[in-house]
Amino acid sequence: MKRVVIPILAGLVLGTLVHLVGVLMMPYVAEQDAYARLSGVSQVNAATLIEDPRTLATVLPASDPAFVTAVCLYDLAEGPLKVKVPTTEDYTSISFYTRYGLPFYAINDRSAGRTVIELDLMNARQKAAMPEDEEVTVADRLVVESPAEEGIVLIRAMARERGARDEVKAAVAAASCTPVP
Amino acid sequence: MRPLLFILTLVIGAVVGLGLTWFATANGYGPGLVRAGAWKAWPKAGTEEADPYARAALARAGELPLELADGLAFVAVTDDAGRPLDGRCDIRLSGTVPQARFWTLTLTDRDGNLVDNAADRHGFTSTEVVWNRDGMVDVVLGPRARAGNWLPTGARDRLALTLRLYDAPVGLASRTSDAPEMPKLITERCP
Repeated sequence: MKRVVIPILAGLVLGTLVHLVGVLMMPYVAEQDAYARLSGVSQVNAATLIEDPRTLATVLPASDPAFVTAVCLYDLAEGPLKVKVPTTEDYTSISFYTRYGLPFYAINDRSAGRTVIELDLMNARQKAAMPEDEEVTVADRLVVESPAEEGIVLIRAMARERGARDEVKAAVAAASCTPVP
Repeated sequence: MRPLLFILTLVIGAVVGLGLTWFATANGYGPGLVRAGAWKAWPKAGTEEADPYARAALARAGELPLELADGLAFVAVTDDAGRPLDGRCDIRLSGTVPQARFWTLTLTDRDGNLVDNAADRHGFTSTEVVWNRDGMVDVVLGPRARAGNWLPTGARDRLALTLRLYDAPVGLASRTSDAPEMPKLITERCP
């Protein structure tokens, strides 16, 4: 009996280690994560409107069906990205996630305070390379720094009721995500 | 005997390790939990400081969290008495909703899939719901149509309700110790 005590204890310690490593690695090894699912319906560096709520529920589980959602997967290797979203009457928001699902920035129509939200998404290197004077002249330009090269931009607008959905859809369809040369 | 004990160690290690990981990521989004009655929220999961358990659970489910700067999501899978939300029963959601610019209420199964129903209704927004005169809301979930705010359940069991508050005051989410007052969930009648 005594002989099995040590292997059991060692097994428990090993199990705890396996658990910790598993949890830490999960975002990087999960094959069906948000980016993988979204890449089936969306292009890179272009905004794609996901029209059907059922498609949205499949590619992005637990998302809000009261919203009209567009997705833009990005890759900053070629250069910064310009995100342009016309706001609607109700609630419009843009949220940013890295390739592995870490949320790093979100803004809504009220915090942006304008009718068309315009953002420049870039990595640290591209931000540092921005000419100083340009930063001054376009002080009201919104610059978002991405901690990763690749990621996801979610563009979402709420439809206050079913009748308002088409109008909101038109606004979200007009959102764009274009690489800046 | 030796190799057998070594194999025992490995087997225990694998079972405990994978079991713990499965358990930790299958139920909610880790230790950053805030409770308000039957409702649960993980405000930190929607920030850059999301803990590894939240990130692991989200990656496994293929979800993207609602960012805290955007809003806060509360999920309930039971009523206030701890009974699982059963779509064959009439369940009443009533009370006040924490202050926010907008909120939406969504009915899904526990995996986040919408519940099929003839009325094609999956929830309410704060602007389309019918409010009581005292500023409270009353929503009834049930299999049969009824007047007022009715959310069809398709007679499915193991349902989940999500209440998302958009553009909520900052304090709401950072006050982890005293959670806001959320609407009550009461199972009224079961066949």
